Amino acid sequence: MANFLKKAADKTLIKRLYFYIQPFVGYIALAIFLSLAAAYLGTVRPKLTQIAVDEYVAFDDFKGLFTVILLLFGALVGEFILLMVNTYLTRWFGQNALYSLRSAVFKKIRSLHIQYFDRSPIGRLITRTTSDVEALSELLSDGVVAIIGDLFRIIFILYFMFIMNWELSLVTIAILPVLFYATFWFKERVRISFLKVRDQIAHLNSFVQEHINGMKVVQLFNREQYQHEKFQKINQKHKEAHVETIFYFSIFWPLVEVLASFAMALIVWYGGGRALMGGVSFGVLLAFIQYARQFFQPIRGLSEKFNTLQSALASSERIFEVLDTEHQIDSPDKPKILTNPKGHITFNNVWFRYNEEGSWILQNVSFEVEPGQHLAIVGATGAGKTTIINLLFRFYEIQKGNICIDGVDIKELELSELRTLFGLVLQDHSIFTGTVYENIALGNSNISLADVKKAAEDVEASRFIEKLPGKYQYQLQKQGSALSMGQKQLICFVRALVYNPLIMVLDEATSSVDSETEDLVNIASKKAMKGRTTIAIAHRLSTIQDAHIILVMHKGQIREVGTHKELLSHDNGIYRKLYELQYKDQSVQV
Amino acid sequence: MYQFINKYLKPYKWTITLGAIFLTAANFFLVWIPVLIRQTMDRVEQLNIEQLEELSLFDTLFNSAQGTILAMNALYLVVAVCGYGFFLFLTRQTLIVASRKVEYDLRNDVLHALFSLPSIFYSKYSEGEVYVRATEDINKVREYFGPVIMYSINTVTRAGFVIAMMYIVSRDLMVWALLPLPMLSLFAYWITGYIHKHSIIIQEQYSKLADQAKETFSSIRLVKAYHKGELEQRKFDSLNEEYKEKKLRLDLIESLFHPGLNFLIGISLIIVIWKGGQMVIIEQLSIGNIAEFLIYVAYLIWPVAALGYTTNRFQKSMASWQRIKIIFEAYHNLNKDEGLDTINIKGNIEFKDVEFNYPDATVATLKSINLQIKAGTKVAIVGRTGSGKSTLVNLLPRLIEPTKGEILLDGVPLKDYSKRSLRDCLGFVPQDHFLFSDTIEENIGFGIKGATTKDIEWAASKAQVRDNILDFDKKFKTILGEKGITLSGGQKQRTAIARAFIKKPKILILDDALSAVDTKTEDAILKSLRNDEQKITVIIISHRISTIKDADYIYYLEDGKVMEAGTHEELLSQRGNYKSMYDKQLIEQELQTI
Repeated sequence: MANFLKKAADKTLIKRLYFYIQPFVGYIALAIFLSLAAAYLGTVRPKLTQIAVDEYVAFDDFKGLFTVILLLFGALVGEFILLMVNTYLTRWFGQNALYSLRSAVFKKIRSLHIQYFDRSPIGRLITRTTSDVEALSELLSDGVVAIIGDLFRIIFILYFMFIMNWELSLVTIAILPVLFYATFWFKERVRISFLKVRDQIAHLNSFVQEHINGMKVVQLFNREQYQHEKFQKINQKHKEAHVETIFYFSIFWPLVEVLASFAMALIVWYGGGRALMGGVSFGVLLAFIQYARQFFQPIRGLSEKFNTLQSALASSERIFEVLDTEHQIDSPDKPKILTNPKGHITFNNVWFRYNEEGSWILQNVSFEVEPGQHLAIVGATGAGKTTIINLLFRFYEIQKGNICIDGVDIKELELSELRTLFGLVLQDHSIFTGTVYENIALGNSNISLADVKKAAEDVEASRFIEKLPGKYQYQLQKQGSALSMGQKQLICFVRALVYNPLIMVLDEATSSVDSETEDLVNIASKKAMKGRTTIAIAHRLSTIQDAHIILVMHKGQIREVGTHKELLSHDNGIYRKLYELQYKDQSVQV
Repeated sequence: MYQFINKYLKPYKWTITLGAIFLTAANFFLVWIPVLIRQTMDRVEQLNIEQLEELSLFDTLFNSAQGTILAMNALYLVVAVCGYGFFLFLTRQTLIVASRKVEYDLRNDVLHALFSLPSIFYSKYSEGEVYVRATEDINKVREYFGPVIMYSINTVTRAGFVIAMMYIVSRDLMVWALLPLPMLSLFAYWITGYIHKHSIIIQEQYSKLADQAKETFSSIRLVKAYHKGELEQRKFDSLNEEYKEKKLRLDLIESLFHPGLNFLIGISLIIVIWKGGQMVIIEQLSIGNIAEFLIYVAYLIWPVAALGYTTNRFQKSMASWQRIKIIFEAYHNLNKDEGLDTINIKGNIEFKDVEFNYPDATVATLKSINLQIKAGTKVAIVGRTGSGKSTLVNLLPRLIEPTKGEILLDGVPLKDYSKRSLRDCLGFVPQDHFLFSDTIEENIGFGIKGATTKDIEWAASKAQVRDNILDFDKKFKTILGEKGITLSGGQKQRTAIARAFIKKPKILILDDALSAVDTKTEDAILKSLRNDEQKITVIIISHRISTIKDADYIYYLEDGKVMEAGTHEELLSQRGNYKSMYDKQLIEQELQTI
């Protein structure tokens, strides 16, 4: 409770949540008004009963009784409509607020810098966008309004009781302190045993999960019996935790019922005495018996709702943490514009590392690629090849030096302008859920089906696409698609080409392809490179030897630079060594 | 259904009977509350007419004959209330506790079956599906069977008592009061069904939303490179919009639920006041009777609504039970594990025309495999991913059975050995080097019963992981996994190797188990194998030439067939796939050593 108040007092949190609900502030006011009206109509009915009994039944007035019955019925119908409209209304603006919040979280995350993704597990990012937002649903929809409604109800019940008979009212609410005490006693114990239950459920489920995953190991090592005994112990604890909770509920729920009935007993006894003295009418007794039952509902509801709100605030803290993450890489305020870009790339003494403490990933890297030239980068895994590409796209910020395109530092360019200069093909042949066409056009409405077809024909991908059911409308799945790796890679090539990019970037685009499509992919990559500034990382030296410049990278440094011929002429060069290894049995023309 | 009752409810039949008695007793006391209220009110009415003298409130309540009558009635009322509460407590302690015990038994049985089921079962159902059956479905069965029993007994006994009392007091008013109640039951049935159906639809949409987020976040580099953020946002937002719409459709029905219940309850109460009021006027009934009936109706509402709710939920729990039953059925179809012992085997293995295909698969995973593995030799199996290497070694511990042909161990078909003893003589290091979230000690000792610290340290040092473990603060007591530390890939593999070594197996199978271990350590591990006095048979799957080049014999697999076979030198001279694989790796190696 104290924790809740502390969080509630955190005004900024409330204020920020309010931002998402603010467009509906008029509807909220309406909802509060509707709950006020519904609370009145719901609580006026016992009072009407009293009138029916005392003023009409007591005087044998059939017609009067019927009039009151009509009033009662009217109040009931009115309450029904108001409650229904109000519940839907609050859910409606709640869902709308959740929609915008979910959208905002997604937008924020997707636009964050790559390094944020390196640090955060995908699972956590998904949780922030989905379940954490979902946890706010009660807070943003009917939660707060329902609490207000419950409060209205309590106030109206007290009002009606007191105007009928204040003494009897005091007798009725005499039971309240006991109820409050019981509720708090129960809440505290149940909270602790619920925590135990939650731990045990997590324990049990993770055991089951882990052993289903590792079933092979369990069986290979003949450990079925032993692991099952282990499970029984966990299962036992799980059961015990539940039984403990059941115990508290077994006390609490009957106790609440007993207290409510006890209040009735008090009314009958005291009210009966008063009735004997003529101070209390039968109608009043009847009304009080009904109020005594009604009174306990909103009180119970209130204590439950506070709990859900508490956990909602915890979720909102996590969400705002994401929304508050600073963009580390942004477009400049006054970006320069490349008029008629040519595709001239320079790296000047570039130094890069992921963070202050880390070791340098790139050290003093400098090179230059003239428009239309092909640059190939070779080196072992971890030499820094992919890093060069990442820096060119400005996925990361360099610490020293600069990277320029047509003489303009990439930091001074609009990010979107910078990135549209490139066509990128990665090793992992990324396919998105969607049709072949959508995978190629990527939602760019300027790219027609005809453009896609033409690009596909250029790299001869059209041959297999035409054979697919539905051709360009064939649905691809991220995983488990019917396409081979090579075919997926061809689609990636078409995707890169259809934009007719100025600069082509191939990150090991021709490796990890099956032998059948290997030739096709090789042809595709040649077509893709034709007449364009190209940067290619490749394993196969055959794809490299035509490059204008070859960089040999090692441990973040450029060790050799030159053309194929030049590099081969270095007697003890790394490149020469590699080349000899690969082709020692084959005669290749140099 | 019958099976469930017979197997899981029968052991608790006395507890359930006792619970039923308690619940009946609770409802018996409950029904006295309105009766006593009516009696008191009638009494007051009677006394009111007789009363002449003026008394103070205090005297009226505590010092008069009438006051005594009132107090006695109130006392009875308190007794009835407490009796009700007490028996309700006992009911919960018996019936609900019993439902947890049933759940406990069910969980144990499901897990027992899962531990016994063969790999084929796990290839038929995804891990996720099995997990849901073993957790969610059990929850559902308990959640609904538990309440179904309690609510049914409650509805029957409470409605019995209340309606009997109504009948005694006034048959006419009874008919009027009960009139709207069937509607209440139907309403609850309908709404619960609707909510359930739509919750599933919403859940699906929710998964779509999460999948979209996953797709975007996991290929963020490409998304950014192609400036595809806006498109992803549109895709996400349209799913988001759809989710909202679906949610609102459910919300519409849910907004009908509580107000609707409230309305139907209200109708019953108004009818009682109206008809009861008329009867009071014609002096058929007293005001006390109206009060009594108002309470009766209130008592009936929950059991009647629960009737609709539970019938609906009951059907859902049946569906869950059907899913769990598949596990039990698969378990009952298992054969008993009987057969020869492997204590004295030497370790000669022969594959004779072995074929294997997974059920429902169109293409065989392994085709006419013929292998000869002599005891004490080291045999390597190489080939691309998906060529059938792992399937081949999975046949040895009989995780799967060949669909054609047979495998001989020391000349005896594998099937003639008991699985248990077969697995005892095998040391198997699976590809995924799976470790449990437990201490390192437990994980290595997993291989044998009652492993001593000495055994564990011996195995760890043989697998070249002892020094790494001793570097941890808690040494061999270090906990792995989510709650503990994360080992590096190489450390994990070596721990899994130690787990196999501790068994001192006759046959050791390394399924790509050294891929994350550096070559130097790998060498040391392989050498330690050779130093053993008793030579063990080693079957090793690897992508790395350095691992396999000094094997006694090498098989190159492609598309489930043995394409090339021989020693390293023989295979190189064949200039086939093995050779090109070798060349490629040589280059990588050179690059690394520069």
